[in-house]
Order: sequence, then C-alpha cells, then structure tokens
Amino acid sequence: MATRLLELKGVSKAFGGLQVISNLDFHVDENEIVSVIGPNGAGKTTLFNLVTGVYTPDRGEIMFEGESIVGLPPNRITRKGVARTFQTLRLFLNMTVKENVMAAAYGHTRAGVLRSVLRTPGMRREEREIGKLAEEKLAFFGQRLMGYRWNQPAYSLSYANRRRLEIARAMATNARLLLLDEPAAGMNPVETREITELIGKLRDELGYTIFVIEHDMHLVEGISDRVVALDHGIRIAEGSFDEVATDPSVVEAYLGLRAKEEPG
Amino acid sequence: MNLGGLVVALAVWTLYAVYLSPTHGWTFFFQLTVNGIILGSVYALIALGYSMVYGILKLLNFAHGDVYMIGAFIGFGVLTLLGGPLNPAIPVVLLIACMFAIAMIGAGLLGLAIERFAYRPLRNAPRIAPLISALGVAFFLENSALLLFGSQFRDYDGFDLVSYNGIHLGGDSGVFIQYLGVIVIVGAFILMLGLIGLVQWTRLGKAMRAVSFDREAAAMMGIDPDRVIAATFFIGSALAGAAGVMFGLLFSQIYHLMGFLAGLKGFTAAVVGGIGSIPGAMLGGLLVGLVESWARGYLNGNVSDLVVFGVLIGVMLLRPSGLLGTPALQKV
Amino acid sequence: MSESTPPHVPESSGQIGVDQWVAQADERRERPAGLRGLVATGWEKLPPAGKLALLSPAIVIPFLPFVSEGNLFNYGLFILIYALLGLGLNVVVGFAGLLDLGYVAFFGFGAYTYAFLSGTHESKGHIYTHHWPAQWSILTAVLVCAVLGLFLGSSSRRLLGDYLAIVTLFFGQAFVVLTNAANPYGITNGSNGLANVAPLEFFGHLSINSTRGYYWFLLGCVAFVLIVLYCISESRTGRAWKASREDPLAAEMMGMPVNRLKIMAFSLGAAIAGLAGSVFAAAQTGAFPQNFGTQVLILIYAVVILGGTGSLTGMIVGAIAIIASNQVLDSTSPPNVARVLFYAALIATIFFTMRSSWPRMATAFVGTAAFGFAVHAFADAVWARGTAGEATSGGFLSGAIRHWVLLPAHPGRLAVYGYLLMVVAVITLVQLKGWWRLAVLVPTLYLTAFVWENLLVLQPAVTRYVLFGALLIAVMTIRPQGLFGTAKVEIV
Repeated sequence: MATRLLELKGVSKAFGGLQVISNLDFHVDENEIVSVIGPNGAGKTTLFNLVTGVYTPDRGEIMFEGESIVGLPPNRITRKGVARTFQTLRLFLNMTVKENVMAAAYGHTRAGVLRSVLRTPGMRREEREIGKLAEEKLAFFGQRLMGYRWNQPAYSLSYANRRRLEIARAMATNARLLLLDEPAAGMNPVETREITELIGKLRDELGYTIFVIEHDMHLVEGISDRVVALDHGIRIAEGSFDEVATDPSVVEAYLGLRAKEEPG
Repeated sequence: MNLGGLVVALAVWTLYAVYLSPTHGWTFFFQLTVNGIILGSVYALIALGYSMVYGILKLLNFAHGDVYMIGAFIGFGVLTLLGGPLNPAIPVVLLIACMFAIAMIGAGLLGLAIERFAYRPLRNAPRIAPLISALGVAFFLENSALLLFGSQFRDYDGFDLVSYNGIHLGGDSGVFIQYLGVIVIVGAFILMLGLIGLVQWTRLGKAMRAVSFDREAAAMMGIDPDRVIAATFFIGSALAGAAGVMFGLLFSQIYHLMGFLAGLKGFTAAVVGGIGSIPGAMLGGLLVGLVESWARGYLNGNVSDLVVFGVLIGVMLLRPSGLLGTPALQKV
Repeated sequence: MSESTPPHVPESSGQIGVDQWVAQADERRERPAGLRGLVATGWEKLPPAGKLALLSPAIVIPFLPFVSEGNLFNYGLFILIYALLGLGLNVVVGFAGLLDLGYVAFFGFGAYTYAFLSGTHESKGHIYTHHWPAQWSILTAVLVCAVLGLFLGSSSRRLLGDYLAIVTLFFGQAFVVLTNAANPYGITNGSNGLANVAPLEFFGHLSINSTRGYYWFLLGCVAFVLIVLYCISESRTGRAWKASREDPLAAEMMGMPVNRLKIMAFSLGAAIAGLAGSVFAAAQTGAFPQNFGTQVLILIYAVVILGGTGSLTGMIVGAIAIIASNQVLDSTSPPNVARVLFYAALIATIFFTMRSSWPRMATAFVGTAAFGFAVHAFADAVWARGTAGEATSGGFLSGAIRHWVLLPAHPGRLAVYGYLLMVVAVITLVQLKGWWRLAVLVPTLYLTAFVWENLLVLQPAVTRYVLFGALLIAVMTIRPQGLFGTAKVEIV
C-alpha cells in the first residue's frame, strides 16, 4: 500500500449552525492525483481551508506525512509541504511575475535582515538560487510565462496565465502536495486541455502529489487516479472516475431526485 | 467574553467599588454611575455615526470627531445670535431646540461635503487611501476652527441657560442629577429611537442595510449606493452635531481640539459594542462613559483616558467583533 | 502532446501576434509630449543612485558658507530629521502597508530616552544624572523604540488593518499623557520637558557641537538608513513585505509568516524613529512634549504621502518640499517669502486647472486681474472702509496688493466669512467643467487672495497645518501614489 501523505480522520467543521464538513475521513496517497467533486456549497473549498490551516476543524485530526497539522498557522503548514492555489485568484498583483514566484520561496530560505543589509556572499548566493528556482518553475509552463513576462506586473496577465502563475507560485514553496482549487475555472476548452496535461506532468515528471477541486468533468476524467464526491460535507462516493460518475447518489446530488426513479 | 461575562464583570466591579475601594459607599458609586450614563449618551451618539459609516463603507472616518466639534461651535453660534444664555431672545426650550436643529443640519451638511469631496473619489482606491484622506480632513477641520475661532475655550453657560438645579435622589447628600443631564439623556434617547425606527422601517433604512451588506448587489437591485452613502453620512454627522451641542451644554469647553479625544472614545464605543451594529454603538457608548466616569472617580483623572484605551485593547483582543457584533468570516 | 487533442497548441505561442503586441506595450504607451515627457522618461530610466545624485544639490546647498546657522538648523536639520522619520514610516506604511498613527510616539520615546540618559534633570524629588556617552544612549534609544515597536506591532496580531490604526493612535495619545500629565517618578518632568541635555559626545572625546556638525552627522544617518532600507527592500524580507501588503492571506499561504513580518516592519520603523528622536534631542539639547504632538505626525505623513509611499527617493524629496514650506510658513519667518510662494501657487493653479486650453488660460489670467481691479474700484466708490487697510508687512508686493486686494481696516468677521465661502467655492470648483469652471475660478482666486491677505498671512503657523491637511486629501484624490511612488492596481 502506498504511503499516506495527507490523511483526515473524522473531521467536522460548522459555521454558526451550518455543518459544512461532517465527520469526514479522507486520504491522499503519495504521488496520487485525487479530485474532489460536488455541487456548489458541498464543502470543497472549506476542505482546502481546513487542510491549509485557514480554519481549524471543530473535531477530528488532519495528518500530513504522519504528523498532525491541526492548529498550526498556515505558513507553518505550507513549510511542511502543502501549498495551494485559490479559486478566486489571489496573486500579488503589483509585483512582477518573477517576484511573485520568488516571494513564495520565503519559507525555505534563510537570509535574514542583517545578512541582507551586509549582502553576505551566502545571502547573494541564496538570492541567485531563488531567482533560478523561479525561472525554473515558470519555465514549466512553456513560453507562456517566459522572457519579457518575468518583469511584467502580475495584473497585466491574462486570466489563464494568472492561473498558471498561481501554480508556479505554489510550486516554488517546495511543497510536495499541491492543492489546486478549480484550476480550469474560466479557461477555454483548449486551455483546459493544456492544463490537464500540465497537471499530469506535475505528477509524472516532477513527483508532486495533487489534490484538486474541479467542476470541469473532462479535466477530472483526464487526470484523476481517484475521485471523491462530496455533498453537504459528507463523502457520498469514492473511486475511479467512472465509478463515481455513475454512482446514483452522485447523480442525485447533481441533478436532484429524478435519478432515484430510474432503474440503474 | 460575552454579554453574560459583561454582567458578571460589572457586578464584581460594583461590589468592589461599593465595599472595598478606598472611597467606598453607594452614594459615590451611584453619583459616578449617573455621570457616566450622561457622558455615555454623548459618546453613544458619536459612536452611532462612526458605526453607521463603518458599516456601510468599511471606512474609519477620523474626521467624525471634528464634525462633532463643528456641531458644538454651530450650537454656540446659534446661542450667541439668539441673545446668549442670560437673556435669550426666544423661550429657552425653543432656543435649545433651535441649537440642536441647526447644529444637526449644519453638521450633516458638513458630513455630506466631506463624503463628496474627500471619500467619494476614493471609492475604489486602496484601503489605506481613504484613511489618509480622513486624517487630512480631520486636520483640516481642526486647524480651520483654530484659524477662525481662535484657541480660547467657548462656554455655553448651560447652567445659566437652563438651571443649576436638578433632581436629588436619596436626600440632599444623595445622588444629584442636573436638569441638563436629564435633557441630554432624554435627547439622546429620542434620537436613538428615531434612528432605529428609520433603519428598521423606512425605505432608506432598508436601502442602507442592503448597501452595507453588499454594495454592488444593492446597486443592481436599483438602489443608488452613492445616495444611500451620502444619506448615511448626513445622518451620522447630524448625530455627532447633536452630541456636540449636548457636550457644550454639559461641560462648557468648546474648542478646536475637543473632537480628537471625543472621536477616539466614540470610536472605542463603536468597537466595544461591535462596529456596524446600532444597538452595539449605544451599549458601547454607555460602557465607555461609565468606565471613564468610574476611572475618574476611583483613580486619577489623568489616567482615565488610558483606562478607556485599556478597555478597547482588551475587547479587541478578547472579542474582536465587539459585544453585539457578528464575527466576520474570512472568505477565501 | 498526442493525437487525442486535435486543436494543437503550439508550444512557442510567442509567434502569435498577441504576445508581441503585449511585449511592445511600453513602446506604444502614450508619453506626455515635449519636455515633460522627456523628463518623465529620463527620470524613470535613472537608477536609484542617479536619482539621488540629481537630488544632491538640495543636500549640498546648506554647506555653502552663505547659509546662516539659524537657517541651517531650521531647514537643513529639520529636513534631514523628517527624511529619517519619513524613511522609517515608509517601512510601515509603504513596505508593509500598515497604518501607524502612533508613529510620532516612537520619535518621542527616542528623544526622551536619549535626553534621560544623556542629560540632567530633577523632578518630584528625584534627581537623574546619567550622562551616558552618546553611542550608548543612542543605541539604547533605538533599542527601546524597537522593543516598543515589537510590543505595539504584536497588538496587530489579531487586529484588522483599520483597528490597528486606532490602537496606534491611542498609543500616541498614551505617550502624550505619559510625558505631559502623568510624569511617573519624575522621569519625564511633566509639561516642562527635559532640558539640559548633553550634545552628542562619542567615546568621550568625539563630540559634535555645531549645527554644521549635526548636519553632517544626520546626513550620514540618512545615507546609512537609505542604504539599509534599499538592501532590505531588494531582499527576501522586502519581497515578503510587499507580498503581505498585496494580499496578506495569500502571503501566509505561500509560507510567509505575515504577523511576524508586520511586527518586524513596525519594529524597524520604530527603531529609525528612535534614531531620529535621539539625534533631535541632542541637536536641540532637550526634549519637550510639544515636539511630539499630532502636528508632527501629520508632517511625517505629509512627507510620506507627497513623496510617494514605498519610494525611498520620494521620502527625501517629500521631506525637502514639506519641511521647507513648513518653515517658510513659520510665524518667525518673514511673511514675504510665504507671500511670494502664495501668489506663485495662485498662478500655478490657473496653469493647472486650465492647461487644456490656451484661450481659457489667457482669459483666466486677464479675468482674475481685471476682476480684482474692478472689485477694488467698486469698493473704493461705495465702501471706503473696505480698502482702508494695509497689507501686513507687504514688502515689494505691497503696492500691487493694495490696489488689487480688498484690505478692510478691521477684517474680523469678514475674513471668517470669506474663508468659509472660499472652502465652499473650492468644493464647487472641483465639480465644474469647461467655461463654468472658468467662471467660478476667477472669483475664487480673488477670494483666496482676499482671505490670504486678511486672515491666513496673519497666522501662518495655523495656515500651514490647514494646507497640509488639504494636501493629504488632494494627493489622495489626485495622485495616490505621490510624486515618486508607482501607481498600484487593486482589484476589489
């Protein structure tokens, strides 16, 4: 059995009286691509927020690499190796493309204020490394984010390029687990196909483990080793894409009760 | 900390003040409490303006305290024009009503002008821009008042105008409430009831709530947010103007810097009560008034401001959304 | 890429015209034509060191022998101290994006710490004579401020941006109470402040006694801080500050400890203010509560806002512009300089508001002049008292003023109403366009001159604060990035 990278045990979260996640057991194995699907309001983004530490669960345990990460501040969790993108893009808009990625290297670099002021050789070496790291991560997206784009402010990028930049930024944190929140939202079919391939490459060539929320079923079908369907904070189905897509309770969650009346 | 905790804290404090403190005794305590409630009514009116503007624009209107100062000056101007406190040209009741009305309208118009000129152009600017603009407005108003009215204290002579007398509770050595204090409390109460009525039951009130909830969605539903925001500024500033006149009646210290500390305390009241919440602002105002009055009586007058400040910090740390506010959920 | 994705996406989409179009965006961008465009582009292309070199004349002038000691103190020293303060506040406001309204308290704490450690005073029966050497008392002052900054910054841990502003404002207020009224154990000597403070003396023999010496020393401090801040802004920490200013939550999620960064910015800013404060206390050999009031806070903010938040060169330029005008409008300065500047500003206003059309500009000039003479002549005929006054120490302009501006013998209330009317007129003016604007502009300018001669020039010290207040509003509405900042895009 593959090693468990992320594991949730009996996690619950309520806002006011509304139970958003209830008693959820869930895991992501090393080198796996897991997709979470579910209708709007099913608790998918909340699940991400729980894992990355924006919210703390009311009950339950979240383990990353066998260690509990409940209650850690988000930046600590990121340093342990969990990085994410945002459904509503949250780039550092007034920083350049390259700076966006370089900033994300903060967690695994060392040079403090004093060394920056003294410009010690170590600090300068580290700066060069950060620069190289950023260029490397950006190069992953082909020509899209290369060359003159490095020095353009992030707000000048197109929507699809912003999504790509968010992924590059998450990669630069040296995370092992990437949480992608609707990476294909707002993209046209060609771009969606492209991002599907890229996510595959992220795992196959670079060894990332990927946990993705997505509404676009073509993308989910194209990449997922395993699909988990959520509704009202409860896991209603799990398995391969085909199994989940044909699961009556999933169809019901998406389309309403009609599915029940039909045989099959 | 919640309302229950507040009640317990107040009870413990009361017991301490009455039985254990160096200046113990019920009369002293009640006298300070009454003074605190009177002062608190003034703060509550200031806090309401802060809270309404914050609720609708998410903007700390630093200039609010100075609108209150201008309100106090307008009241003084009306009083002087109509013959002064000793031989008023019209009946005293009418005179006071005039002072309130004109100060409220004047302060309201000033609020409108400030909004139009200093805040509206910054509706879509970075968060820090309107704050700095507000700082500029506050400084502009303070120094304009200094330029125009000089630095000396003005005095309403409220006692000459109304009466030195008041209500004695529990005999001559008991608690004393001046008639002026009664006027202030009753006036503040009426204004707050009016405000609640306005927000709950009128079209404007509904529009205000809608805009504060989601400005863009409200705009799509046919509400003109600019007009609603302007109306909010008018009402909030008018309340501050009324508070200025009340302060003038009570304390006879009208000068160009009076708005700074009062504004800070009004803000504290708004935060303690839960910023954006109207009943919260009232409760917060009363609490700040009480704390200040008690601190003045039981501690040293110089440090009462610092005690109020301590309360603010405490509430912000223990319950950032205030006593009656709803916790804001961070959207990701 | 396989056969299964028929609409093949070319790897090097750089060939598609769209990307070149973007790549050449800068070349297509419209530049202001003529001299102005040339200057603007030239300035942008200059490296930071070059910008500073261009600004250096302003720094060198004070060394020329014809500058008197008094002017050097009033202008040179104050400009450098405010440049330091601006640089420090810029770390908090510009780099980290936090609004610190208690910043002036750190300046005060620095000055008081230095004055307490390097001076002598007696209060409430306690006698304090420490006379530490300057290197230790400055270091202590800087550290005290840095620690206080840590303390105040950590209150920001749970506070949203706006609440932080108010907590810091209270902190500034607490400082005023502490120095003015509370005076615990006679440490602060209450409202009398600390006099008898020793000038800078390092290691027992290296002492600074002259204003010129302080100027050199402060110049060194500014250069040092400038270099330090430049290095930090170009480092990992600088990037993290920028990121957490842009989007604190995203920065936190990308591994940056946002709270720690904020506290660090607070602390660094406070330390710089502490340095400025201790040199200030040494230069004026004392620390008094009125040196650290709200006025000073507004001055520092004016420096930062005018210079442009986030820009280091901007702080120097902002300090020169703000402090020079602050000192020109001091009540001890001769009013003529202020008057010349005022009328220059009046003419500049016509240029600025009417720059789109030459005929209108000409009409505005002629109209304003004619309007003034007409009003004056009319008043002469029907209201003799209205022209009976004299211009306040008019100097070489007094003749022209006497025949153009109405100068009543006792302006009194008239000046007050004029002021109120002027404020209303300016607000109206901003809303108008085209010929209407011109029509209102002419009387407004004349009214402004009337108010200036009859009210403002008599109280220059108050006038300047009114102007700085208005400046903050104007900069925020017209050019929020200030003179040297870069425009920011914010998507709400």
